[in-house]
Amino acid sequence: MKAVMITFNQAHSEKMEFIFDQLEIRGYTWWNDVQGRGTETGEPRKGTHTWPEMNSAVMTIIHDERVDSLLESIRKLDEINKEVGVRAFVLNVEKTY
Amino acid sequence: MSIFKSAVNKPITTLMVFTAIIVMGIYSLINIPIDLFPEMDPPFISVMTTYPGANASDIETNVTRPLEDAFNTVDNLKEITSVSSDNLSVISLEFDWSADLNEASNDIRDAIDMIFNSLPEDINRPSIFKFNMSMIPIVFYAITAEESYEGLEKIMEERIINPLNRIEGIGSVSLIGSPKRRIYVEVDPVKLDAYNLSIEQIGNVIQAENLNMPSGNIKMGRMDYQFRVQGEIQESYELNELVVGHFQGSSVLLSDVAHVRDSLRDLSFEERINGQQGVRMFVMKQSGANTVKIARDVRKAVDELKKDLPADIQVREILDTSEFISDSISNLSRTMMWALFFVVLVVLFFLGKWRATFIVMITIPISLIVSFLYLFITGGSLNIISLASLSIALGMVVDDAIVVLENISRHIERGTSAREAAIYATNEVWLSVIITTLVIVAVFFPLTLVGGMTGVMFKQLGWIVSITVITSTLAAITLTPMLSSKLLALKAKSKLPEKFSHANLIEPLLRKLENFYERVIIVALANKKKVLFGSIVLFIGSLFLLRFVGMDFMPESDEGQLSVNIELTTGLRVEETIKVSRQLEELVYETIPEMELISMSSGADEEGGMMAMFMEMGSNIINLNMRLYPLSQRERSVWEIASNLRLELDKIPEIADYSVSTSDGSSGSNTIDVEVYGYDFQTTSLLARELQERINAIPGAVDVQISRKDDRPELQFVLDRSKLAEHGLNTAMVSAALRNRITGMTASFLREEGDEYDIVVRYGEQYRQSISDIESFLITAPTGHKVTLGELGEVKEFFNPPNIERKRRERMVTVSAVPEGIALGDLANEINKVLDTVEIPQGVMVNIGGDYEEMMDSFMDLGLLLLVSIILVFLVMASQFESFLMPFVIMFSIPFSFTGVILALLITNTTLSIIAGLGAVLLIGIVVKNGIVLIDYINLMRDRGQALNEAIAYAGKMRLRPVLMTAMTTILAMLPMAMSTGEGSEIWSPMGITLIGGLVFSTLVTLVLVPVVYGIVSRRGERDKMREVRERFTFLQDNNNT
Repeated sequence: MKAVMITFNQAHSEKMEFIFDQLEIRGYTWWNDVQGRGTETGEPRKGTHTWPEMNSAVMTIIHDERVDSLLESIRKLDEINKEVGVRAFVLNVEKTY
Repeated sequence: MSIFKSAVNKPITTLMVFTAIIVMGIYSLINIPIDLFPEMDPPFISVMTTYPGANASDIETNVTRPLEDAFNTVDNLKEITSVSSDNLSVISLEFDWSADLNEASNDIRDAIDMIFNSLPEDINRPSIFKFNMSMIPIVFYAITAEESYEGLEKIMEERIINPLNRIEGIGSVSLIGSPKRRIYVEVDPVKLDAYNLSIEQIGNVIQAENLNMPSGNIKMGRMDYQFRVQGEIQESYELNELVVGHFQGSSVLLSDVAHVRDSLRDLSFEERINGQQGVRMFVMKQSGANTVKIARDVRKAVDELKKDLPADIQVREILDTSEFISDSISNLSRTMMWALFFVVLVVLFFLGKWRATFIVMITIPISLIVSFLYLFITGGSLNIISLASLSIALGMVVDDAIVVLENISRHIERGTSAREAAIYATNEVWLSVIITTLVIVAVFFPLTLVGGMTGVMFKQLGWIVSITVITSTLAAITLTPMLSSKLLALKAKSKLPEKFSHANLIEPLLRKLENFYERVIIVALANKKKVLFGSIVLFIGSLFLLRFVGMDFMPESDEGQLSVNIELTTGLRVEETIKVSRQLEELVYETIPEMELISMSSGADEEGGMMAMFMEMGSNIINLNMRLYPLSQRERSVWEIASNLRLELDKIPEIADYSVSTSDGSSGSNTIDVEVYGYDFQTTSLLARELQERINAIPGAVDVQISRKDDRPELQFVLDRSKLAEHGLNTAMVSAALRNRITGMTASFLREEGDEYDIVVRYGEQYRQSISDIESFLITAPTGHKVTLGELGEVKEFFNPPNIERKRRERMVTVSAVPEGIALGDLANEINKVLDTVEIPQGVMVNIGGDYEEMMDSFMDLGLLLLVSIILVFLVMASQFESFLMPFVIMFSIPFSFTGVILALLITNTTLSIIAGLGAVLLIGIVVKNGIVLIDYINLMRDRGQALNEAIAYAGKMRLRPVLMTAMTTILAMLPMAMSTGEGSEIWSPMGITLIGGLVFSTLVTLVLVPVVYGIVSRRGERDKMREVRERFTFLQDNNNT
C-alpha cells in the first residue's frame, strides 16, 4: 500500500474529484483551504490579499499498482496549465488497521 | 457558504432573484410620478390678519408688531419677515428645513391665542397659511369670448371647472379676471334730497321688499297647506317699481330717484390674451400628485369639454409647466441612452469580447432599476435630480463587474473550468470590490445628511448613487460570477485571430500604450523632485485662475417663458394703466416675433386673492406673461429677448419701475437683495434710492428695484369732532355713510338659478368725482335734519406708504438687483464695493441677502460636505491599507481634480454654481477610486518581493487598463450630459462639465504623480520591514557573545 499526498490549487478541485472517480479510487482524505508554497517554482497560496489563491490537499491510500496511473493522471492535469499547480508525493504505508 | 458560491451553484435561484428585482423595479417605474425637482416643502408659514379700514402704519403698530413679538419664541424659527399694507398684515415665518411644520403651526396658533385679546377689537382672527409647492399652478388657460363674455363666469363654472374638479389629483381650478354680474342702483343725490330720502332708506326698502318668507301651515278641511309670502324679485327691472317713500301724497318709485343698472362689476382689472379680452384659468394639483399626468388629463378633458362651449369662447393654453418637465425628462433620458451606448463601447473596446461585455452590461439596468424601487418606496419622483444621479451612477456601476469578470477570465484562460473560476476568482477580489464601493458611498452618503434647500436636492442624489453602487457590487459578486460560469468558456487556442478582430486591431494599440506608460513612469521615478515640484506649481497656478471663474447660485434654464411686472405711477387709475398696456402690447408684437402667446393683466382683481400671493397686483400694475416658441424654433435665447425688452421698456416714460423675469420661480433665479434696516422711513428710503442709483450704474446689474413702494396719494376726511357732537353724530356713523355713498351699500341679492348677485345701492358716479362733490354729500343726523359733509370737516390730501416691510422685527427696505451677463458672486462683490463707499446714516443697518445669502449658505454646506467626504474616504482607505500613509499618497490626486474642474469651467465659460460645486465634491470618490486600483497593485507587487521602482513600473503597466477603463466609462457616461443643449440642460450640464474636467485631469495626474509620491514616501519604512522582522526573531542567531 502506498499513500499519495496531492496538494493542488483549489481551482483544480473538480478535476481532482473527476480523476478519483475515473480511477475508481474510493477512499481519500480531503483538506480544503490549506496554505503552502512550492519548493522550486510554486507561488505562495495563502488566501491573503497579496497571495489570494488557496490550495487543497488530498491523501489517498492505494495499492502499489495503481500509483502510476494516478501519477500519470496528475501529470496530465498539470499539463493543462503549469501555473495553476498540482503536486503528488508517494509515501510508504507501514501498517494499516 | 459564501454568497458568490451559492450564486454560482444555484444559477436559477440567482436569476429569479434578479428577475424579481427587475419586475418590481419596472412596476415602480410605471407608478413613480414625474416632476422637475424632488418634492420640497419650503418651511414657510404665513399668518394673514385683516383689520378693515386701517392703513399700513396702523397695521404695523397694532397688529404686525405684537404678533411678531409673540411669534419670536416659536421653536425652530429662522426668520420673521412681514409686510403691513392697508387693511392687511402678512407675516411670513421661515423655519429650519428640518422643522415639523404641523408642530410649528400649532405653536403659532398658541402664540396667537396668548395675545389675541390685546389686539384691536375689529381685527379678524389671524389665519395661518402653510405654503406648499403644490399650490403653484401647473397649467394656465386663457379664455376669450365675444358675445358670451358677460356670462363667461357661469358658463365656465358649469361646463369646465366642475368637470375638471372631478379629475383625480387636481387640487383646485380657479378663474381670475372673470366678469361678475352685479346690479347697481345708482342714486341721484339731488333728487334724493328733493324727496327727502337718504341712501340708507333706499337700501333698507330694497332689503325689506326682496324677501321670501314662510308663514306657517294652515289646516283647511282635510288638508294641510304651507303658507308663504313670495316677495322676492325675479328680474332686476322689477326694482324700478319699488316704492321707496312718499312725497306730497304720492308714492316715490325707485326709478324716480335712481337708475338701475344690471351689469358687470366695476372695472378694476383687465385680462387680455393675445389682444383679446378674456379670463385666466389655472389648475393646481394636490400635493404629491404627478404633474405630468395631471396636465395630460387636464389637457384631454379640456379638449373634450371645449366642444360643448358656445362657438365664440376660445380656450387656449398659456402655460403648461408639465411641458418643460417632460421635455427635460425625455432629454435627460436620451442623454442616459447615449451614456449607456458610450459605456458599452468602452467596455467592448477594452474587453474585446461580446459575451463578457454582455455580462458587464447586464449590471447596469439591474442597478439602476433598484433606484426606482427606492423612489417608489419613499414616495419620491422621477425628476432632474434623480435622472442626473442615475447618469452619474451609470459609469460607475460597471466598474465592480469589470474587476470580477477580468479575474474570472484570467482564471479561465489558465485552464480552470468556468464554474470553478467563477467561484475562486470572485473569492479573490470580492473584498477589494466592496472597499472601492465603500469609498464611493463614503462620498455620496453624506449628501443625504445635508440640510437646507440644497439638502433636499442632494438627498436623492446621495441615496440613489449609494443604492445603485451598492446594488452593482452585489450584482458583481453574485450575478457576474453566475453568468460567467455559464457563458464564458475556454476558447480553443488553435483558432487564429481574424484580420479585423480585437486581438489584431486594438490589442497591439493597448500594448503600445502600456509600454509607453511604463517608460513614462520610469522617467518620472528618475526625476521625482521635478515631477512633484511641477505638479505643485500647476496646482497653485490653477488656484490663481479661480479668480476668473464666476460664482452663481443655480444655473438658470431657458424655459421659453417671460414674465414682466410693470409698475406705473403710484395711485394711477386702472383705466390709465390699461392705456399703457395697449401700448405695451403693440411694442411686444413688434419687437418679439418669437412670441407664441401673450397674456396681460392690468389692475387688481379683488377676488383673485390666491393669485396675489404669486404676483404683485394693484391698479397701477401690469403683469405680462409671454410664452415663446420652443428653443429649437428660435434663434434668440430668452435672456437675449429679456435684455432687449428691458431696453425697450426703458424708453416708455410712463413706466416707473419694471422687472423682467425669465423663470417661473420653481427653478433657480438669481437676485441680490440689499437689505436696509432702519425705523425712519425717510432716511431708509433716501438711502435705498441712492443705492438703487449706484447699483444701476454697475454694468451687469438689471431690474434694480426698491421693495418699498412710493408713497401713495390718499384723500382723508378729517373730522371736526366738536361739530360732529353738535349734530349728534360720531365717526363710525360718518364713515359708514361715506362708504355707502361711494363704495355702495350691498342691500340685498338677486337670486337667479341658484346664484346670487349683489344689489348695490350707491351714488351715481357723476356725483362723486371731485372733492366738492364729496363735501356736498348729505348725511342725516339722528336728530332728523341733514348736514353736508363739508360742515363736519374737510377733505385733505395725504401721502402714505402703501406697504411697510419688516424683517427680524425691524423695518426694512430692500434694493434688489438681478445679474445679466455677469455672475451672481461678481455682482455681489461690486455691490459690496458700492456699500463701502456709501455713507450709512446712524441707526441704519445694511446687509446683503437674497439668493446671494442662500448661495453663500449653500457653498458653506458644500465646503463642509467636502471636508466630511475627505475624512470618510480617508477612514475607508486607511482601514483598507492598514496604513496612515497610503491614503495620503492616493489623496494627492484630489487637488488636481480641482485643477481640472477650474480649467474645464474656464474653457467652457461656465460659472461655479451649486451644481458645479457638487460635481467637484463627487469627484473625490471617483478620483480616489483610480488611485486605489493603482496603489493596491503596487503594494501587492512589493509584498510579493519586487523592488520598489520595478514594482511601481510593473504595477502601473498592469493596472493601466482598469484605470483607463473606469475613468473612461465615467467620463463618457457624463459626456452627453455635459454636451446636451436641450430643454433644462442648463441645470445639469455644469455637473457633467466639472466631473469630466476633474476626471480627465486627475486621471492623467494620478497615473504619473501617484506612483512618484509612492516612490518618495516608501523609500523609508517599507524597506526596513525585513530587518525589523529579523531583529524581532533573534532565536536563530548564534549566541556567540555569551
